[in-house]
Amino acid sequence: MTAVGPDTPRSDADAKVRGLANYGVDYREAGMLHARLLRSPVAAGRVTRLDVSTARSVPGVHAVVTAEQAPEHRNGLVLFDTPFFASDTVLYEGEPIAMVVADTPRQAQSAVDTIGLEIEEWEPISNVTEALAPDARLLHPDLDSYQILPGASSWPKSGNCGGVLTSDPGGVDEAFETADFIVEDTFTVPRQYQAYLEPKSATASYDGWRWTLHVSHQFPFQVRSRVAQALGVTDSRIRVVGHHMGGGFGARLDLGLEQYAAIGASLTGRTVQLVNDRTEDLISTMSRENATIKVRSGVTKEGRIVAREFECLMDGGAYAGDTVYLTSIPMFMVGSVYRVGPTRVTAKSVYTNTAPSGAFRGVSGTYICFALERHTDRLAEAIGMDRREFRLRNLFESGDSMLNGQTLEDADILREAFDRVEEVAPWSEAGKGSLKGVGLAATIWLTNPLAGSATLSIQQDGSLGVSTAATENGSGAVTMGVRQIAAAQFGLAAEQVFVTAPDTDTQGYDAGSQGSRTTHVVGMAVQAAAKQLKPRLFNIASGLLGALPDDLELSGGSVCVRDDPSRTVSLATVARTAFGLGGPLSATGAYNVPLPKWDPDSAEGLLFPVFPVPTYHVHLAEVEVDPDDGAVRVTRYVVAQEVGRMINPDGVYGQIQGGVAQGMGYALWEGLETKDGRYTRRTLESYGLPLAVDVPDVEIIILEHPCEAGPYGAKGAAEPPIVPVAAVIANAVSDATGANITSLPIDPEEVLLAIDKRREG
Amino acid sequence: MQFLAPMTVDEALGALSEREDGLRVLAGGTDVMIQRMTGQLPRSESLLYIGGITDLSGVHLSDGTICIGALTTHHDLRCNPVIGTDLPSFAEAAATVGGWQTQAVGTIGGNLCNASPAADLAPPLLAADATLVVSGEDGPQRIPANRFFLGRRRTALPVGQILLKIEVPVPPAATWESYLKVGRRSAMEVALVGLAARFSLAGGLVETARLAVCSVAPVPLRLAHAEAALVGSTLDQGAVAIAAQRSMEEIDPIDDQRATASYRRMLVGRLLGKAARLAREGLEIQ
Repeated sequence: MTAVGPDTPRSDADAKVRGLANYGVDYREAGMLHARLLRSPVAAGRVTRLDVSTARSVPGVHAVVTAEQAPEHRNGLVLFDTPFFASDTVLYEGEPIAMVVADTPRQAQSAVDTIGLEIEEWEPISNVTEALAPDARLLHPDLDSYQILPGASSWPKSGNCGGVLTSDPGGVDEAFETADFIVEDTFTVPRQYQAYLEPKSATASYDGWRWTLHVSHQFPFQVRSRVAQALGVTDSRIRVVGHHMGGGFGARLDLGLEQYAAIGASLTGRTVQLVNDRTEDLISTMSRENATIKVRSGVTKEGRIVAREFECLMDGGAYAGDTVYLTSIPMFMVGSVYRVGPTRVTAKSVYTNTAPSGAFRGVSGTYICFALERHTDRLAEAIGMDRREFRLRNLFESGDSMLNGQTLEDADILREAFDRVEEVAPWSEAGKGSLKGVGLAATIWLTNPLAGSATLSIQQDGSLGVSTAATENGSGAVTMGVRQIAAAQFGLAAEQVFVTAPDTDTQGYDAGSQGSRTTHVVGMAVQAAAKQLKPRLFNIASGLLGALPDDLELSGGSVCVRDDPSRTVSLATVARTAFGLGGPLSATGAYNVPLPKWDPDSAEGLLFPVFPVPTYHVHLAEVEVDPDDGAVRVTRYVVAQEVGRMINPDGVYGQIQGGVAQGMGYALWEGLETKDGRYTRRTLESYGLPLAVDVPDVEIIILEHPCEAGPYGAKGAAEPPIVPVAAVIANAVSDATGANITSLPIDPEEVLLAIDKRREG
Repeated sequence: MQFLAPMTVDEALGALSEREDGLRVLAGGTDVMIQRMTGQLPRSESLLYIGGITDLSGVHLSDGTICIGALTTHHDLRCNPVIGTDLPSFAEAAATVGGWQTQAVGTIGGNLCNASPAADLAPPLLAADATLVVSGEDGPQRIPANRFFLGRRRTALPVGQILLKIEVPVPPAATWESYLKVGRRSAMEVALVGLAARFSLAGGLVETARLAVCSVAPVPLRLAHAEAALVGSTLDQGAVAIAAQRSMEEIDPIDDQRATASYRRMLVGRLLGKAARLAREGLEIQ
């Protein structure tokens, strides 16, 4: 019996259900002060007056902080374009201008309300078209002088573009000439808010030299280095302690409020807590970027795609954040899954007077897949070929390469995924009937390769402690995945393993919960630690049992002699003995995924070069459209997903069901539109998250192809189920109604008009 | 701010008369508390919580009139057998207000007095020719539903008074009514359009037609011209098409964050068609 497999509950479930789990917003310290931010009420302008004198005299106020008290230098994830506080100019609605620290949040807010702020308002640059106009005002006139992350290679950027990726392998125009038909489509998608349950918060204290931050964050080591960078101090002066996290979905990968809590703590000498209210969280969080995507492909009448051009304009908002990296994502999607011939790619991260955008589960992939798979349907339609047949005719096979030159050694899994979907939902029968339709889409996705580590120690009671800075973002990757892998390594039940909360002072580096990496990478680090620990454990047991270490094995919490199972010693005894010898029985392991080969010349500006440990996905959806209001009902949803191997089926199934729900929200209801640079939906009441009553039970087909370099064969599983959802639903709605869906969320008015047109036609 | 919680109507009215600077009446709190939180109402404003006045809730049938206490919750309206049998459009409307939590505490009186252009209970009220009974200067005073809504968040309820109950005559036999609501999702939605329809037959033809809508004008309103097109008809396609056309001319929808005016216009006509379709089935019109 091994702890890897079904029926292992997550270790945090009970505390979360009973309300016993403490999240970042629940953290308290005696004598703690509270801060509130003054945020820009307008999207763009020049600050002509900032008078905080009244605020300083409000009862209970301990400090008022503006750019004058903050470090002058700019900071950033990779491009250092972001000031600590806005001073001369404001570039988006919600940009922090000042902060008040007071005894209570109410006093702090009252003092914020007294600050005299006058802004000479400018017409905001509210979209990428305005930003790229030849005479557009520059958001960052000093862009060329900005520093970049030490060690990062430079990339093209200019004007209002924080980053540009271009790939032109040659032969594209010639290949277009061999096409029988050329189809061009343009797609637009809005922003999507991560809408985690717990709003962002940070609590900081300062001891005269070092800062301690208490956070609920996906990436504590990122907080450490980014707070250090923002304050202009070295990393080791920052300690970050992680707490339970009420969801992240990518929004807790870069700084949120941590730098503000930190400067409040060092200026007052007191612990300072800062918590967003929901509207300020919604308007200031780095949501998924809005984008405009153009795809043009040449296709032969026999059904081969022979050439492609792809252009993507990503609205990065007022500061670049990680959208500079995200311009690389098209390189893994535009010429993958299907063979498309020579392909030219341009992707730009564009500055606008909107909140900075950034990582959200399935970064950029959700809309790239939407654009590509809608376009695939349109290509099939152009040549009069069945949509599924057209996909299979162009499908990738093992050994095919993506646009970055990376070879997919196991791409045949795509065919298997299409076949398995066909078994449960035969294409010839799906989506038949008036105003019913079916859609199909496929994608590949990565397992994030960045480094992780774990320290294992056998406790004196024979249980196993895992100390890691890996974070439990709610997916179960730590409380199920990592814990189960550690248990299985020592023949323990998962209940005999505990995992500590992250603490950057005591743990090795971990690159955070992103890109489905935790189970895979930290699981491998656990195995590496176990590999070191077991010989030491057997050495001690060897003395206790009077047997050679090589003849020992672990079973049921004991070490026993392989050929004489009556001779055993408990792990507790072994651990106590080790303590008596002067040290705990512990070892640290680390892992990062070896990067596959790629072609560095495949593109300029390729900051994110590969898609390591790829997984394969095919989704199918059936929909029914209401003839009276155009509403889309998803009546059936099928996912075939390749995961390597499941460590915990409940975890994998839960992530797929949740990813599909989140993708349905993106396809049908959510979306942050701006008017004059301000979001129009500003509360969860109007935002339109998916509801249980509207999301079907997803039919899940798991394909297991154990990964040789993965813990028990596991690859990443949690991020990708969101990626193809908007694509399949849009394709199904187009099939049902004839509407050519080119924007999200799907507009019921457009759907109704298409139904009318089809009836009249 | 002060928080007052009277236990009787008289205590409530006494409190209202004592304070010249006004007192915000609070029932279920599903609108007032949100408006305070978002700054639409001042947080300094004192609250008069009337939820403890027990004789203002519940549904009673007497002498051919259904009386709905102002504090009857959406949940209770949804589940009440008298409402379910005689005024199903009220039950249907109550079942679409927010989610279960909202329905558990939100009240019909609050929904109407808040006078949102999107109030779900307003169209059934208008279509039923209901009467609102308010406390009055010298005893209860009656206000017909079609004179109650004066504008966005403005009603005919006099200052210093409270709504006591709603009176609705039991509909005649051979009556069909329904509330049809469109939101983007299946729950937790403010109506993009809500339409209450009521048709009574005599001799196989429509004798009275009542159509009322919300979310398509500053106030919930009756569609008198559309109604007229249906009287004397069998809800046949021709009559319904004329009514649908007229309905779209009678409304004044706006573009907002939830929907465009043009979509709302389309929806009103289509909901009217859907109501006619369902009514023909319900009334077994051949």
